Amino acid sequence: MIQLYNVCKAFQRDQYALKDVTLSVEKGEFVYLTGPSGAGKSTLLKLLYCAERPTRGQILVNGRNITRYGVSRIPYLRRNIGIIFQDFKLLTRRTVYENVAFPLEVQGRKRFEISKKVYQTLKNVGLEHRLNHQPLQLSGGEQQRVAVARALVVDPLVLLADEPTGNLDPEVTLDIMELFKGANARGTTIIMATHDRSLIRQFPRRVVSLDSGSLAMDDMPLFGGPTEKTG
Amino acid sequence: MILRGGYFFRRALRNMRQSPVLSLASVGTIAVALALLAFFAIAVLNVQQLTASWGESLVIVAYLDEVPEDEVVKGWINDIEQYPEVNKVDFVSREKAFERFRKRLGDDAGLVEGLGPEVLPASLEISLVEKSQNEIAMTAVVDRLRVDHRFTDLQYGQGWLEKLEAFLLLLRASGAALGGFLVFAALVIVANTIKLTLYARQDELEAMAMVGATSLFIKLPFLVEGALQGFFGGLAALGLSFMVFEIILQKSLGSLLLITGIDTIHFLPVVWQVMLIVGGGLIGLLGSLFALRKFVRFGAL
Repeated sequence: MIQLYNVCKAFQRDQYALKDVTLSVEKGEFVYLTGPSGAGKSTLLKLLYCAERPTRGQILVNGRNITRYGVSRIPYLRRNIGIIFQDFKLLTRRTVYENVAFPLEVQGRKRFEISKKVYQTLKNVGLEHRLNHQPLQLSGGEQQRVAVARALVVDPLVLLADEPTGNLDPEVTLDIMELFKGANARGTTIIMATHDRSLIRQFPRRVVSLDSGSLAMDDMPLFGGPTEKTG
Repeated sequence: MILRGGYFFRRALRNMRQSPVLSLASVGTIAVALALLAFFAIAVLNVQQLTASWGESLVIVAYLDEVPEDEVVKGWINDIEQYPEVNKVDFVSREKAFERFRKRLGDDAGLVEGLGPEVLPASLEISLVEKSQNEIAMTAVVDRLRVDHRFTDLQYGQGWLEKLEAFLLLLRASGAALGGFLVFAALVIVANTIKLTLYARQDELEAMAMVGATSLFIKLPFLVEGALQGFFGGLAALGLSFMVFEIILQKSLGSLLLITGIDTIHFLPVVWQVMLIVGGGLIGLLGSLFALRKFVRFGAL
């Protein structure tokens, strides 16, 4: 699904945010991207949705070399990618419904289709009763659930999450992770940047570690065990 | 894209509702600029109509030292009326000239008591067709008449005509310069207003880019918004200029203007009114285009 070949990213001369990263993520995988602050996690994610361009190397998403993409093709790539941020990035002037509906409007879907899909998605995240609220009327956890709904409403091939639980308390974090698990179970490939080790212990999945821009570890912990939340 | 026009229109209206102060500032600026332009246009149009009416009364007068027989005069009139520039030639006899002179003197008509028509010469009054009522055509006719030695004393107010044409040229040039300046100022204001709107909504634009909105999808509502602001500005300008026309020009200055020979002053013709509104829309659209061209490449957000 996603392949990176010798990817480098330099913001200034001789200052590399990523150095020679080669990585492959299969369809349906759930991958944690870890590392200390400044390791290059966010930069790697930005390269995957073309918010940044690699200085060197190639990136393939679903078989397509996105490093060759012109500006006009990038929006069409992003319609297959759901993106979730630590600070939610919701449209504060719009209602919950409008926030979740927006990606479908962008794709030109019909109103009836949008209405049905948005309601179903909000129900999946447990916020169908908050349709007409504005984001600032919600708690942090609810706002992140709206962001998750917005990302999932288009049934993306890939979900990229940059520290999605960074601003949330442990209980809400678990709720968000359950949503991610559900999406992953339905076939969505997920790459989640986090430095929260307890999360990785609770929900063990493949871990890719970055350190000063280089790939430090690519490990597949064992599934199951007492660290995973059950029930 | 055409079917989604309604969607972009609704988004543009929503954007305007969410930033009412900025939108009003933009509409107001365009309204003021176009209203000033409209006032100037009204002034120029009416002055042009006035000077055109003055032009109609401009005649070339060929004074006759001696009056020949009627048949000869008729022949002269016929010859001159063959000129393509000439509309009509009238013979003004000494008696007729004297009578006109007495009427012009009004209460002072007693000054010519005891004098007869023989003190004034007879003349041929040559009026030109409308398209020849200018200094160049008049001079050409006069030169041709001078070559014909039958007419030696020819008057047509040449100095006055030159000044009138120079004045009209200055008026049009000033109007064009002022208009150009006002349009440019309005463009700059609209561009800055749209830019401020873009900066205020940067988070929204980023979110749009994240979910795969194309550059056109993001920009189109702002273009529509700019065009709408310009359209409303044009409408407001039309209303404002009409109000000023009705309340101040027609009522307050009406009697004063009678002295200059204007019996009715006219508002802008319908075509110009439509152009004012459409022009406002274009200014708004262009202002938005300028603002959006300098903004972030949304694909790279």
